[in-house]
Amino acid sequence: MLRFDRRLLLNFDWVLIGAVFIVALIGLANIYSSTHLYTNVGAPLYLKELTYYLFGAAIVLLIVSIDYRVLLTLNYPLYVGMILLLLFALVFGKTIGGAQRWINLGFFRLQPSEPAKLILVITLASYYYRKETGKGFGLLDLAVPALLTGLPFLLIAKQPDLGTGVLLGFIFISMTLFVKLRWTTLATLLCGGLSALPIAWKFFLKPYQRQRVATFLNPENDPLGTGYHIIQSKIAVGSGLIFGKGYMKGTQGQLDFLPERHTDFAFSVWAEEWGFLGSVVLVLCYFFMILWGLNIAISARDKFGVLLAFGIVSLIFWQAFINLSMVMGLMPVVGVPLPLISYGGSSLLTNLAGLGLLMNIRMRRYMGTS
Amino acid sequence: MPPRPLAKINKIDPAELKMLKKRIDIAMALIIFSAALLLTRLWYLQIYRGDEYAKLSEINRIRIQEIAAPRGNILDRNGQPIITNRPRFNVVWNREDAPNPDAVIKDLAKILHEDVSVLLDRIRAATENPRYMPTRLQEDIDWETLAAIENKHLSLPGVRIEVVPSRDYLYGDLASHLVGYLAEISPAELAEKRYAGYESGDQVGKQGVEKIFEQYLKGEKGRNYLEVDVHGFEQRQMQLQEPFPGNDLHLTLDIELQRAAEEAMGDRAGAVVVMEVNTGKILAMCSSPPLHLQEFVGGISTTDWNRLLNDPLNPLLDKTIQGQYPPGSTFKIVTGLAALSEGVVTPDNTFFCPGYLNYGNRRYGCWKKGGHGTVDFQRALIESCDVYFYSVGQRLGVDRIAKYANSLGLGEKTGIDLEHEKSGVIPSTTWKQQRYKEKWQEGETLSVAIGQGYVLVTPLQLCRMTAAVVNGGTLYQPQIVQSITAPDGKTIKTFAPVSQGKILGSEHSLDLIKEALVGVVNSPAGTAKSVALPNVLIGGKTGTAQVVRLGQVEGLGASGIPYKYRDHAWFTSFAPAEKPEIAVTVLVEHGQHGGSAAGPVAKAVYKRYFELKTGKQENAAEPPPSPAKDEKEE
Repeated sequence: MLRFDRRLLLNFDWVLIGAVFIVALIGLANIYSSTHLYTNVGAPLYLKELTYYLFGAAIVLLIVSIDYRVLLTLNYPLYVGMILLLLFALVFGKTIGGAQRWINLGFFRLQPSEPAKLILVITLASYYYRKETGKGFGLLDLAVPALLTGLPFLLIAKQPDLGTGVLLGFIFISMTLFVKLRWTTLATLLCGGLSALPIAWKFFLKPYQRQRVATFLNPENDPLGTGYHIIQSKIAVGSGLIFGKGYMKGTQGQLDFLPERHTDFAFSVWAEEWGFLGSVVLVLCYFFMILWGLNIAISARDKFGVLLAFGIVSLIFWQAFINLSMVMGLMPVVGVPLPLISYGGSSLLTNLAGLGLLMNIRMRRYMGTS
Repeated sequence: MPPRPLAKINKIDPAELKMLKKRIDIAMALIIFSAALLLTRLWYLQIYRGDEYAKLSEINRIRIQEIAAPRGNILDRNGQPIITNRPRFNVVWNREDAPNPDAVIKDLAKILHEDVSVLLDRIRAATENPRYMPTRLQEDIDWETLAAIENKHLSLPGVRIEVVPSRDYLYGDLASHLVGYLAEISPAELAEKRYAGYESGDQVGKQGVEKIFEQYLKGEKGRNYLEVDVHGFEQRQMQLQEPFPGNDLHLTLDIELQRAAEEAMGDRAGAVVVMEVNTGKILAMCSSPPLHLQEFVGGISTTDWNRLLNDPLNPLLDKTIQGQYPPGSTFKIVTGLAALSEGVVTPDNTFFCPGYLNYGNRRYGCWKKGGHGTVDFQRALIESCDVYFYSVGQRLGVDRIAKYANSLGLGEKTGIDLEHEKSGVIPSTTWKQQRYKEKWQEGETLSVAIGQGYVLVTPLQLCRMTAAVVNGGTLYQPQIVQSITAPDGKTIKTFAPVSQGKILGSEHSLDLIKEALVGVVNSPAGTAKSVALPNVLIGGKTGTAQVVRLGQVEGLGASGIPYKYRDHAWFTSFAPAEKPEIAVTVLVEHGQHGGSAAGPVAKAVYKRYFELKTGKQENAAEPPPSPAKDEKEE
């Protein structure tokens, strides 16, 4: 079916795969540390995560073997499928922690909001690629991408999952700013956005979400309620000092003071056990991957590749930035996982697929107009 | 299927690439900036404020459990334990450890056979305490309840058993006023400086030596450092600081003598004080009726407290130091000493007692209505002739009587190591001027001379006075603690006898008084001849203290007078007469006659004292009994 070019193998992105491998090892070790005391039914969580990684590796292999340009035809079917899955989750989904986010596939519980992030990136990249931007985008030109983003945003916010919703918004803003905007459009959007904030606060946010923001601004007000997560996470990170408490010796994590310690607060466990040095290594790994991703974007062979790579980079960047800011107490607690580190199959497979696409774009940077 | 759509895509236009590159540079700058932001934040949390968070994480996981120290034992002069400790099990509630309090309290209430609302009330009452502080839900549970809770402890998060050493009263209520009781520290006490370091819920001495020697007895609390998880379940013990037991208090009491005194008092209200005449050490000191110490363990209820407050026998009052009574005829020792020493009479001067003395326009009666006839000093004291002492009192004047009374330690606190001691009253002209802003009436001197009128003394004062009269004239501070020893046996403090100076009065007059006091017990006409023991010579003086003016109840007959108007009965004494060792003072409230009511109590004490003494001498001759055997028998 495919003509396999030997150059593809030569151009394979060993740097990115190496970085992903290092972060994956850190993630697995960290999940082992934070969950080995769990007494859950079924396989230990680190083994499950390892299985997801192996499955993810297969997906990466599949993705790199197909030219990314195929997405220009697949983008809308993917988008429709994503919307259907989100609707399905909303109607029949499994409720965990007060939110309907999960679809039970029997062997795997799919969280459709995770792949939705990547599919939105593909959709927006395809849209902006197709749209001629001679004079830059005007306000009306943005109506279609805004709608494309707004639909999954509403479905996810309804679950409710504010974190993922906000993430979709950030991706949309990042990608839209990346393509050429008219100055007037930018100014109008800026003013409109700012004036919409109070309205959103009043009518759109649920009480618990407002509470989270208020708690973030002053966590000590409610140290055992919603402020608990922020305080405990800051204690975990801070008490790691320079060298950390040692692997599997973090008291905050091991003794259950940290909530969601293998998912959203996985970094706190890492920071507590490995200290400032370990934290810096992990943060640098991320930003190396992100900057490398920008390098891939700029060296892509076509504009679709540039837009797609940039979208994936913004996806990974925003997830990492929001999650790290949250666990360090720089942002309210929103449920955004740290790519590759937080436990969870849907998130891991989505991010690996994104990284696979980056490798795909990198590999094909020299390909002709075949 | 050939990938058709791919063909449509052209390589990127260099001009557009240039523009996109510019934007990627901006993105890169923003990304680097946010990386710097995150790294700065990491530095701030982990290095700049790291120590602070490290401390917080320590507090987070370490729960410090305080372990009450066993309180020091209280022993008698022979090392016989009077009060020791036993473990008491309390059910406590740790708020911070209980994720789901309602269900747990419900289960717990069933085990404790207590109403849920009662437990919830106790929790609510403690809401002002810091969160980490456990709340006591039930105290002193029995073994069965303890076993039931320990069995279910996994399903009762937040509920713990606290083992508290508690007082074990080996002799029941013996010497209860003197040893005192313990109770939970009050909020008012917590604010006091002397209770610095105490916490709410701690037991402190509330009365007696338990209170006075609190600092010695309390010991040092231990601390158990436990690592806990967020649910409060203990993970492991990190460090255990054993509590350090309190010091032992060795009293001067002889518990056997104390028991003899209390048994002799029976259920009558009154007081007994037994003192070593040459040291001031208290051998027995009882205020009857006793406090029921067991009632106070774990806090006394309001109803019980009110019952004690309203009891006509006034058990809450320590009558030995807080009861102030007219000394009655026992005061004739004071008047007699003053008269002889001041030379207002010689021992041979006689007075005629017709049964009364007219003074001013009033007739002052002698207790013996028919009169004593001609009496000298000896007869006057032995037969307690009021008219004789009216006469010498008149010659002395109240101020000279007061001078001698004060030198004998009356009218002032003895300085015993117990709280709320009363000083009694020794009237004088200046005293009356200050107290009532009135001039002294000469007729009042007559009442004072026979220990009536304004004169008030405590049993302890009278005992000390008796000791001073017969020991050669030294007034000792009464002493109830001999020494304090550390748990390892090392002596921390010993209490030497404290002399408070010589009393007034010549040696010769003291001898005369002593001689007369021996006559009181041993001569046929003596008022206390029933007290005499066959092989020990006892000396003493009876007294009958009027509660109301005689006229008010005259003619009712002894048993017709209502209890509260009956006279108090006194007997103060010493033995052996040749070389006095102990002084015994007995007061029986409303006992009516010193000789018949108070005397037998003193007699019982002497009997026991000399029995113990000869027994000890015999024991000393024999090899001492094996202590190991004694322990086994316990």
